[in-house]
Amino acid sequence: MSNRREFLKLSTASAIALFGREAVADADPKRGLLKGGKDYSPATGTERQAIPTACWQCVTRCPAIAYVEDGRLVSIGGQPDSIRTEGFICAKGQAGVNQVYDPDRVLYPVRRTGKRGEGKWERISWDQALSEIAGRLKKLRDAGHPEKFMFHYGRMKASSSKLIKSVFLATYGTKTIGNHTSICEAAKWVAQELTWGKHYDNWDLDKTRYILNFGSNCLEAHTNHTPIAQRLVRAMADRGVRLVTFDVRLSNTAARSDTWVPVKPGTDGAAVLAMCQVIMHEDLYRGEGEAFLKFCKVTRNRNATTQEKIKALKDHLQSFTPEWAQTVSGVDARKIREIAREFATVKPAVVISYRGAVANYGGVETERAIQMLAAITGNIDNPGGRCRAVGAKWKYPKGPKKKPQAKKLNILDGFKGRSALPTHHVSHQVFKMIKDGSAGRPDVYMWYCYQPVYSNGDCQENIEVLKDEGLIPFTVAVTTSYDESAELADMILPDTTYLERWDWEDSVSPNQIPEYYLRQPVVRPRGEVRDFGDVCCELAERMGMPLGIKSKEQFVKRSCGMTPGVKEAGGLDYLKTHGVWHDPDAKPKYFGYKKELKPEALKKDTVIFDAATGVYWDWTKSKAKTLTEAKAAGYAAAKKAYKGYIGQRIDAKVYAGFKPDKINKSGLFELYSDLLESKGFSALPAYLFPPDQEGTQDDRLILTTFKVNVQTHSRTQNCKWLSEIYYENPGWINPATAEKLKIKDGDAIRLTSEIGALETRAHVTPAVAPGVVAISFHCGHWRYGRYASGNPVPTPVRGDDRGITKWWQGNGAHPNWIIPNWPDPIGGQQRWMDTPVRLEKI
Amino acid sequence: MADGVRGKVYGRRRFLKQLGQGTAAAAALAYPHPRSPHAATAKNPQVRYAMVIDTRRCVGCHACSVACKAEFDVPLGFYRSWVEYVEKGTFPDVRRSFLPRLCNQCSNPPCVDVCPTGATWQREEDGIVEIDPDICIGCKYCILACPYDARFANPVTGTAEKCDFCLHRVRNGLEPACVETCIGRARIFGDLNDPNSEVGRLLATTAVTVLRQEMGTKPNVYYIAADHTGEGDARAGQYVRVTTHRRQKDRR
Repeated sequence: MSNRREFLKLSTASAIALFGREAVADADPKRGLLKGGKDYSPATGTERQAIPTACWQCVTRCPAIAYVEDGRLVSIGGQPDSIRTEGFICAKGQAGVNQVYDPDRVLYPVRRTGKRGEGKWERISWDQALSEIAGRLKKLRDAGHPEKFMFHYGRMKASSSKLIKSVFLATYGTKTIGNHTSICEAAKWVAQELTWGKHYDNWDLDKTRYILNFGSNCLEAHTNHTPIAQRLVRAMADRGVRLVTFDVRLSNTAARSDTWVPVKPGTDGAAVLAMCQVIMHEDLYRGEGEAFLKFCKVTRNRNATTQEKIKALKDHLQSFTPEWAQTVSGVDARKIREIAREFATVKPAVVISYRGAVANYGGVETERAIQMLAAITGNIDNPGGRCRAVGAKWKYPKGPKKKPQAKKLNILDGFKGRSALPTHHVSHQVFKMIKDGSAGRPDVYMWYCYQPVYSNGDCQENIEVLKDEGLIPFTVAVTTSYDESAELADMILPDTTYLERWDWEDSVSPNQIPEYYLRQPVVRPRGEVRDFGDVCCELAERMGMPLGIKSKEQFVKRSCGMTPGVKEAGGLDYLKTHGVWHDPDAKPKYFGYKKELKPEALKKDTVIFDAATGVYWDWTKSKAKTLTEAKAAGYAAAKKAYKGYIGQRIDAKVYAGFKPDKINKSGLFELYSDLLESKGFSALPAYLFPPDQEGTQDDRLILTTFKVNVQTHSRTQNCKWLSEIYYENPGWINPATAEKLKIKDGDAIRLTSEIGALETRAHVTPAVAPGVVAISFHCGHWRYGRYASGNPVPTPVRGDDRGITKWWQGNGAHPNWIIPNWPDPIGGQQRWMDTPVRLEKI
Repeated sequence: MADGVRGKVYGRRRFLKQLGQGTAAAAALAYPHPRSPHAATAKNPQVRYAMVIDTRRCVGCHACSVACKAEFDVPLGFYRSWVEYVEKGTFPDVRRSFLPRLCNQCSNPPCVDVCPTGATWQREEDGIVEIDPDICIGCKYCILACPYDARFANPVTGTAEKCDFCLHRVRNGLEPACVETCIGRARIFGDLNDPNSEVGRLLATTAVTVLRQEMGTKPNVYYIAADHTGEGDARAGQYVRVTTHRRQKDRR
């Protein structure tokens, strides 16, 4: 591709040299047309300025090129040199233009003048804003209570995360840091940490020959959307790869699949276990699956023979028959058998999954079962299989060497005993914890790129807690928009959009080769907005704890100069021009667990062997104070022992194995989890029945949620080009269900859950399973500017230079009002997919 | 063909401005009126730009719609290119397919025939149907004449507007914006007269359809495996739902 680009650049250059810009002849179509990287104004014919940068509409963070005309951002295209996106960018990415020019953006720091939530504001200077915040934060820190400063982020990645969290907040000393993973896919990550250690599974779609999908709508929304979606189409269209999708609803992914298997919400795990049952009992594991068992822990005894492991799996799965699964999931037993046999015999095959399968009561067990399905067919970390993610490994300045021992309030993981292993927190219950108060409350609650009121369940409770000055004395929103949460802040700090700031980026590569890329400002920041990274540098100065870093730009520049590969390529200057860099000699990473460790790796004095788990570990990396203490506790029980993990002994050899993260798991692929067993769950993956749905009465339906291709969960409804396509979200109901309830297409309906009621419109379609009502996220904003909600904002705005031309009425219904903030019992995952509701015609 | 004509999109506009200033008949010779006899070759241009849309690769993502919106700053409520969904069947045998839409750049364009001022014409070089907003009087005849609902009156300029295959990009050696962004590589653009082009190869080897073939417009937008079902095609009791994703909820 780059050759073709270079060629075209040269030919254009020579044409300009000969004729001048005006006289350039039409391109010769026989030479083929250039795929991106340039753009011209249709009005004047002049070339637009092309600035490489990176998207931020969703977490995929695609490398992109912004096209600027007379200082105004006009369009955003893909980055043709990216090995992740291959030059494509989705609708959301292109509508990033709207983020910059949203007529209702917050452009100046403001402080409330009325009661909290009343909507009365005064504009203040940055100096006033930062002296007040620095004053409050310094006071807490000086009093020895830095933990009373709670920072809660929604989307914060790469250099933003490192500068704000690892440098600023660490130097300040608070660990009361909330995230949003529990309202995303925490169950998936917890299950992966229990099985193969790290989290994030990449699906090697370019090399696979069969795709089995549980609840991922990756053609519309995914944490690696554009890279995955294009490869999925390529696999199917170019190579005839079969795609089978289990989903409650005919998503566009299900629609493009060879087979759509409608399944009852939250029951995918039953079908997965039954497939494992078929594969084990029909001996279809033989070959790659059997060989992989060598690296698996399947029984309490890690040294069990392969035959013992096979027997243990057969015994465990005995009762999970396809006929049993049919009673649970509604999927025909014959179909389960057929798909299981196909999946086990086509090699390589990949099993993929996302929130449809995991954002429910039994989500962790479902994902563990999916990991088991991949393991017993030998489709783990192999070309064409389910692989451990690969992303860029940046080096960055760490800030002051001496940092305090950080403190935290225990309000991040939900109520004690409710979730066994919430390694990604239970952030959707932070407000419940604050209300409860028994674990303390923050004095200052600041959120960044986050919408706690709108994005979590139980909006009413979120509003009540955030509004209560008695519960939280001081609230600060760092945001680009006047949204439902910012409305309840005491102060709003206007953040830059991602198109006005610096970052280095590191998102997962679909081809197992890391890509390093840059986000740079493409236009001058509007109004007085400031990148919060820069704000942190200044806050630190004001509090007398300088970070040694002046700005995000400097942080990014220094990182570029420190990171091997990027540095040699030319550092920041290279990325400013080219946008992306990858090592041209890099080979895709597969089978990393099979790497045998050299004896030197184990020679260090502090590396000890733990016979119970077979793990070599450096005890000094754990919390153990002495060697004796470390040995006495053992690897499994020593606090943070996983941080010292070196390798795994299997028979007489030591392998890199499956390196743990966040929990003291061995280096084996753990189908059998001692840890879960110790918490009262099944050691091998099993099925968890949601207690609140047992004996569900006939008139109750299950409310399930989904995402569409032109919106993110909560951050894009202000984009007019997107909301114009998708601005309302009726409830999808199967015709059989609708008939029973005497509901017709288009009827006004009311959904009532245990916490509230919601009114919307019925969308009667056979594209959803019976017994379900499916409502998308995205809609029903009551703030967030005129395009999202119809409501103007009370903060000072700069009039839209192009006027508001919104033609659509209504803005849909937000399901979160009636979905409780409840966690799954293992991972703390918010249950988006299995809320029991009553449905009636209004 | 002289470079002077082929090389300038804005030649005609400049020509008219010059006429307005009462200058140079010589200029008129250099920039022939598109409806002059010279334009007769438009039916058989040397280069015939066409688009093949392989709906097996389309995922209905609207990247093309938004790319187009940005490229031309198309006002809200209107699209030069958009994607329709066709959903049909009985549970659980339900299907949803996607139909990207745009101007068909017809070889027999009804819009050109009805334009009273010559503002809409077909380029003889490559068959693209173009609109000159400086000549368009906003009479909307062309909008009514188009059997594909591909034209609209731009509320800002008051003139007719539609897809022109991103002429400003193509002539600079770039793919149209919708093609560049198409995640599934469903949109394929090129010269139909070149047997080695991808569109040429596809048309030679694959079964294709066009929209409303019976109209005799000879579209240059071809579809592979498209579902042409409309809501009107549903037999009694059958479920068919067409979603246009436009302000106009009905399609024609």
